[in-house]
Amino acid sequence: MISGLDRKLLRDLRRLKGQSVAVALVMGCGLAMMIMARSLIHSLESTRFEYYESHRFADLFVHLERAPLAVAERAARIPGVAAVQASIAVHVTLDLPGVDEPASGQLHSLPDRGAPELNRLFLRAGRWLAPGSRGEVLVGEAFAAANRLRPGDRLAMLVNGRRQTFQIAGVVLSPEFIFESRPGVPLPDSRTYGTFWMFYGELAAAFDLDGAFDCLALALAPGAAERPVIDAVDRLLIPFGGRGAFGRGDHPSHIRVTDEIRVLRIMSIGFPLVFLSVAAFMTNAVLTRLLILQREQIAVLKAFGFTNRQIAIHYLKFALVMVAGGTLLGGLGGVAIGHRIVDVYTLFFRFPELAFRLDRSALLWAVGVSAAAATAGVFVAVRRAARLPPAVAMRPEPPADYRPAWLERTGLGRLLSHTFRIAARNLERQPIQALFTVAGLALATGILIVPNAFRHGIEEVLDYQWDVVERQEIEIGLVEPAEIGVRHLLRQLPGVTAIEPVRNVYVRMHHGHRRRQVGIQGLPEGGAHVRMLDAASRRMELPRQGLVLSAKLADALDARVGGELVVEALDGRRRIRSVPLAGLAEDFTGVTAYMEIGALNRLLGEGDMISGATFTVDESQRGAFLRALKEIPAVGWVAIKDSLRDAFRRTTAASIGFIQRIYLVFATVVAFGVVYNNARISLAERARELATLRVVGFSRREVGAVLVTELVLLALVAVPLGLLLGAGFASVIISAVNTETVRLPLVLTARNYAFAVLVVTLSSVLSLLFVLRNLNRLDLVGALKAPE
Amino acid sequence: MNSDFNSPDSSPVLRARGLAKIYGEGEAAVRALAGVDLDLYAGELVVLLGPSGSGKTTLLNSLGGLDVPTSGELRYRDFELTGADEGRLTQYRRDCVGFVFQFYNLIPSLTARENVALITEIARDPMPPETALELVRLGARMDHFPAELSGGEQQRVAIARAIAKRPEMLLCDEPTGALDVRTGVAVLEAIEHVNRELGTLTVIITHNAVMADIADRVIHLSDGRVHQVRQNPRRAPVHSLHW
Ligand SMILES: Nc1ncnc2c1ncn2[C@@H]1O[C@H](COP(=O)(O)OP(=O)(O)O)[C@@H](O)[C@H]1O
Ligand SMILES: [Mg+2]
Repeated sequence: MISGLDRKLLRDLRRLKGQSVAVALVMGCGLAMMIMARSLIHSLESTRFEYYESHRFADLFVHLERAPLAVAERAARIPGVAAVQASIAVHVTLDLPGVDEPASGQLHSLPDRGAPELNRLFLRAGRWLAPGSRGEVLVGEAFAAANRLRPGDRLAMLVNGRRQTFQIAGVVLSPEFIFESRPGVPLPDSRTYGTFWMFYGELAAAFDLDGAFDCLALALAPGAAERPVIDAVDRLLIPFGGRGAFGRGDHPSHIRVTDEIRVLRIMSIGFPLVFLSVAAFMTNAVLTRLLILQREQIAVLKAFGFTNRQIAIHYLKFALVMVAGGTLLGGLGGVAIGHRIVDVYTLFFRFPELAFRLDRSALLWAVGVSAAAATAGVFVAVRRAARLPPAVAMRPEPPADYRPAWLERTGLGRLLSHTFRIAARNLERQPIQALFTVAGLALATGILIVPNAFRHGIEEVLDYQWDVVERQEIEIGLVEPAEIGVRHLLRQLPGVTAIEPVRNVYVRMHHGHRRRQVGIQGLPEGGAHVRMLDAASRRMELPRQGLVLSAKLADALDARVGGELVVEALDGRRRIRSVPLAGLAEDFTGVTAYMEIGALNRLLGEGDMISGATFTVDESQRGAFLRALKEIPAVGWVAIKDSLRDAFRRTTAASIGFIQRIYLVFATVVAFGVVYNNARISLAERARELATLRVVGFSRREVGAVLVTELVLLALVAVPLGLLLGAGFASVIISAVNTETVRLPLVLTARNYAFAVLVVTLSSVLSLLFVLRNLNRLDLVGALKAPE
Repeated sequence: MNSDFNSPDSSPVLRARGLAKIYGEGEAAVRALAGVDLDLYAGELVVLLGPSGSGKTTLLNSLGGLDVPTSGELRYRDFELTGADEGRLTQYRRDCVGFVFQFYNLIPSLTARENVALITEIARDPMPPETALELVRLGARMDHFPAELSGGEQQRVAIARAIAKRPEMLLCDEPTGALDVRTGVAVLEAIEHVNRELGTLTVIITHNAVMADIADRVIHLSDGRVHQVRQNPRRAPVHSLHW
């Protein structure tokens, strides 16, 4: 048997179902995002953790020139090291039938007998390599999927200059390559880059590395610190061309998953925070206005002896019903969207199995947070209701203080229509209601700005990278640095209109006790292919001496222009030199370093070498150019800007697009909910007044015109405010997402603003139509009968 | 029977001494009550007369524990209302007082029966809502919403709501103020009927002097003071009234 007050609650809720559903929807959007994001974090973290554990993902990684296997045993004895796995990893070029451009990849060794100590593989399809067999490889899943390769298929590789055909035994996954992209390239292109494994014996024989290794993975003992082990490993491997050990924190695949988790973490806080604030605000608007409407009812309840507590709880329940609805919607929505996003993740992140795992604690959080938001939203209103002295509430509200509206007093009054005058006076007479409407519309507008700001930011980064920084069409990397003279040979390839040499070298940069491992790009003076811009977006010339760093990298190293950096080459002769910081470049990656190629070569002390080149090629001869490249064994990899861009559009952009669309749908729901809510409430509040206008002889049109005019006046104030608010939201959320290496610019375009205005306008028009339709049903007699 | 009420040995149910109420401060201060002395006795029907603005509502609200007087003494049996906290006042209203207001003030989302039941649920010793509605002759319209009832019917629901908890005291602030003569009479009949049947001490505010005849006692208020108290030798039957 439900109590009388609860019955009133249910009836009121039914009468306000439109508003209650709107609030629950907005809350649901925020909670869906929170539940989705937290569950995805949980899914990624737990799946990765289990994968790392079961397949023994290493803690430290190091590449070197070559060292005898005995050195690996010495590494295993370093204090803090629990296990080591030495292997060979070499660069190979692939010859894929039906693909013009050269593809490449890394070929890794597997122990001839038994599973590797660390970084074990997971067999997705086919079988393991048959012991003692030759000519068999295992292929990473990303590459196999992109090129539709199956176990049993044959694959042609250029192994140490010799073309060989291998049979694919199985398709595998590795904890080292959850995210697989060519080293140094942030975007995946699985069509032209892959990872492969074969037996150590066969690989070592092909590369003359018998009894040696060039790649070492180490596991730390529980509780061992990373830094001292890294230093010990580096000391051990320097004589063998060690390129500097790094931990999981610098491991490309690990970083990508971690970054995704970090972005999700911000999403799980940022978006829900904004949405739940809006929901709290809406609950507050609904309840405050409800309480104004029910002023006299509250007074009666009190006159008959209901306590303040009973009344406060009654109205709190009102909010909590909406919370319950919102939580239910949010839970269902979050789980549904989470499943879809996991599907998108499986395109980038290769786990043996990535399933959506609901974070149960997120559900509790959802209930708690939304209940808190709703309670916070209604707390003041409810307390005021509870405090309302019954005798005062019993008296009719003092008659409204009518006077010429401010707009009229400016002298413009004579120019204004009758309708306009009524509308303007109404707004001034009920500033609180007007304020609610303005705030609601502004929030709705603001929330719409965020998703597009994100999308445009990402577009800007890529456009900047591909249209401003990189002017070349094709870049190649050589298997090994070569004399600068080879560029004359490359110049002879068909269709080449321009070629510029590149020298890339991996270094460790020190400034004080800060250090970073980065690649330095050596570029020709006055080159046209790779451009740097300074803080004022002016093109920078490479200085003849010294380094140009990303401003962000200089910041991370705490270095200033004119200061000296210690550069330790991790390649070749491993020279350590002091180099002045000559300039700062603005970019969005924050990890780039440039130097004039001659100066870089002098620094390295290895003569005039190049490690690759950039090209522009005559469009009509591109096919011939690529086919010719395929024939040159020294060419290790080829990056074609257009196909990277294409691959990006098909994968990353599509998934970002999907997620942004969800946010956009949510933002639109919120915008519509807020506007609709406002319209409903003001209709309820104004029913008597509007009916009175009708009774004294206003036509429906005229009454409608009063409402339309009011809304237009409010929108004119609210929308510009909302655009400002949106810029604020976007700036806060984007700066929270940004880190040292990911720097999304805040891009606010006219298009974005226009879109927000459009959606809010459409929502307003729809809500207004609804209100006008209800105006026709206005019960003239009933509205005048007695005050409620 | 009415002669008993004034006998000095029967102690009053409600006793006010020097009751004053000042709204606002300084220049804008309004003296709504300027020292009211008043005794109300069990079971009597009192009409409170006075021009608009004379302080009737303020007095009634103070008696009912809805409003707190600025100064003076107010005692309901052994309970000192002046100085009581909000919780005690709420308890007092819940247990001892029934209110009827000029604009009925029903909860629009509840039916007649539910409006009454809402109050009986929190009362100590209520009568069934149906009985209360029968008492005001609304047995046939119990499941109608306020919007489906006429003004007079709504006011009778309000009376049923006020008396269903069997309060010792029923306070009515211009219960017929918004009604025409015929419906007004029906409402007064309902109040008088309840007063007689249940012996509820009843105070009716009106500025309509004609209604004074139905009372045991008539108290005139003007400018926040008791101007005159008149004892009716005989209560006139309600249906004989016309105005
Ligand atoms: N909340 C209030 N604030 C200021 N003045 C008030 C308030 N309530 C009543 N008054 C004033 O107190 C006086 C008495 O009011 P009231 O008791 O309502 O008179 P009545 O009910 O006899 O018409 C009036 O002058 C009225 O304006
Ligand atoms: Mg009054």
